[in-house]
Amino acid sequence: MKKVSIIALVVLLLGSMVFAAGAKEEATQGPKALKVMLSEEPSSEDALLNTLKDWAAETGNTIDVMVIPYEDQLTKFPLMARNNDLPDLISTTRLTRLYPDEFIDLGKEFDMSIFEPMAVEIIVQDYKSDKKANLPQQFTITNVYYNKDAFNRVGLVAPTVDNPWTFEELVKNAKLLKEKGGVKYGMAMDSSRARYDNLMYANGGSMVEKDGDSFVVTINSPQNIATLEAFIEWNNSFMPKAIWAGGSTDNPADYFRNGDVGIYFSGTWNYNTFYNEIKGMNWGVMPSPVGPAGPSAILGGSGLGVPANAKNKDLAIDFLKWFYTKENFQTYLNRDKGLSSLVGVTYSPADQQVAKDYKVLQSEVSKVSHAFSVDESSMWRNFYDNEYRDAMRQAVNGDISAAKALNDFAELLSKKSGWPLKY
Amino acid sequence: MKTPYVKRHVTAFWFFIAPCLILFSVFFLLPLCLSVGLSLTNYDGWKTMDFIGLHNYTELVRDSKFYDALGRTFGYTLFSLPFKVIVPLLIAILVTSKRVAIKGLARTMVYVPSLLSHLVVGITINWMFSAEYGLVNYLIGTIGGEPMQWALNPRLATFVISFASNWASTGFYMVIFIGGITNISSDIYEAAAIDGSSPVQTFFHMTLPMLAPTTFLVTLLSTVNLLKEYALVQGITQGGPGLNTTFIIQFIFDKGFNQMQYGYASAISLLVMIIFAFIAFVQFKISNGGDK
Repeated sequence: MKKVSIIALVVLLLGSMVFAAGAKEEATQGPKALKVMLSEEPSSEDALLNTLKDWAAETGNTIDVMVIPYEDQLTKFPLMARNNDLPDLISTTRLTRLYPDEFIDLGKEFDMSIFEPMAVEIIVQDYKSDKKANLPQQFTITNVYYNKDAFNRVGLVAPTVDNPWTFEELVKNAKLLKEKGGVKYGMAMDSSRARYDNLMYANGGSMVEKDGDSFVVTINSPQNIATLEAFIEWNNSFMPKAIWAGGSTDNPADYFRNGDVGIYFSGTWNYNTFYNEIKGMNWGVMPSPVGPAGPSAILGGSGLGVPANAKNKDLAIDFLKWFYTKENFQTYLNRDKGLSSLVGVTYSPADQQVAKDYKVLQSEVSKVSHAFSVDESSMWRNFYDNEYRDAMRQAVNGDISAAKALNDFAELLSKKSGWPLKY
Repeated sequence: MKTPYVKRHVTAFWFFIAPCLILFSVFFLLPLCLSVGLSLTNYDGWKTMDFIGLHNYTELVRDSKFYDALGRTFGYTLFSLPFKVIVPLLIAILVTSKRVAIKGLARTMVYVPSLLSHLVVGITINWMFSAEYGLVNYLIGTIGGEPMQWALNPRLATFVISFASNWASTGFYMVIFIGGITNISSDIYEAAAIDGSSPVQTFFHMTLPMLAPTTFLVTLLSTVNLLKEYALVQGITQGGPGLNTTFIIQFIFDKGFNQMQYGYASAISLLVMIIFAFIAFVQFKISNGGDK
């Protein structure tokens, strides 16, 4: 009886092991959860989120979205990486640039020629190696919105792609809008370095210049000081000064939405939101103004990266392969209403006005300056991005002069980067 | 030679203090030691960590922005501290007075802001003091006044943060003062009344001196909290206009978590901790710990 019991127990154990192994096999082949990290809470209209849902519905997998705000990423990402707790897919503007070793080389998985070369250069930022730590997802560019109602009130006609305004015309019209256009501010600009830098490039300035294999710091050049002085004057005259002087958490996009701004410098990422949400006024898109050194626009955007230690990195790659097919990317682009980073795929809006605006937005891409590309390739932002912002804030607030702000920052940048000063 | 009784006594002593000792070690001593170690390196929060000796400290003593941030912090603390102590004291006197009705409701309403997170306080204050769409400027406009530049004038911006900080903490300090006031024996007040003391005389010559230990506690807590003000600043002014409301904790946070200079931020933190401890020590000495 004892022997029979032992044999029965052994059979039961073996049976359990076989069953467990089968179940495990089934689990690895069944539906999986793709953990995706975003930098802001997605709305119900969010293009990437809805595309992820399409993929989940089509493949039977599930998605698990986590949001780590942009400003918290630098503290949380390193901790997550150390704890091997990174998600499977990350939509990011800078993590792949700051921590390239933590991501797999997607260049080995994808034919990079399917992407627009400019998108790869600006978003993937593979300046120091051939590694492609992310693939371009959302391709954005700075652009200018205008309040049609305010323009009509002063009899102003928006500039065209073939005949953009000069900076002199911009200033004159911004003042006119403030005085007679029924708006509180003639012009507003996001509190973002990239928006201001367009003025710098259009005036012939730059952060750095190439010097052999290295760089020299040129941020305190005479033309850059003159640009900042003019910008301070604009803020004192017809812009909401509190935005650039700091001291307010207001978003100038809200001022524009409320009809308080005549001309608004922002980017293509706002187009979809404005299209869906602004109902109380007429607005449009106009080409950016031209400075003495020509026009300037700044490209940017976010990419999709796969952490090397992700639990389901194969699943993330499967998603990316699905995402970058022409059909699926077209669906994504139609939702995003943005620029395309995939060769041969373009957004073709049915709405006539949107189609007209889209042409203006597309025309901005050709305005990206060489100086911007050189600045980006130096990766100077890895050193003192916030110090630059603080210097601008102090100068706009009138605490220090434009020259002191830029000279002090140039010295800091030179010290940290090891690049000599040109001025 | 220790007797079994003494041994048991010593063992019991260690058992009693062990929870506190462990928590204190894990959450204070260990981070402090780590901070001291990090302050001697160029740790960037990721992979770079070279020993650089006292370099961070020599940089720090030459950093004019450090002194600016510290000076602003002291200015803000000195400006806000009287309100932090006096306002809760006066409210506590009111809500313990026999002549005041609906004391329970009043206490609750004053205390509620203390329960809010600083994020919610920041949003509420922004709603009130926003230069463009704020309630206060709207009210000023309705009576024909010019809108106040809350976000552009450094003094007004500092005032808004101070107002928010006071609003959020008054309830907490009021409760401490109420505890102190109710502990004063009513016999003393009766004796004073019989001797012909007026309410004002009673307040200044009896209540205030007898509340000295409580006042010291509130002053000490307020000072430390004002010196460490961070979340409200982020939620209301983000350190602006310019750098006029960038206080020392924001400065440390910016160096450490935004510029990834963890070593340098640790050095600042240690120096600031010593300065704050010294201020608390001076307060303790001046007031004799609240004792008469």
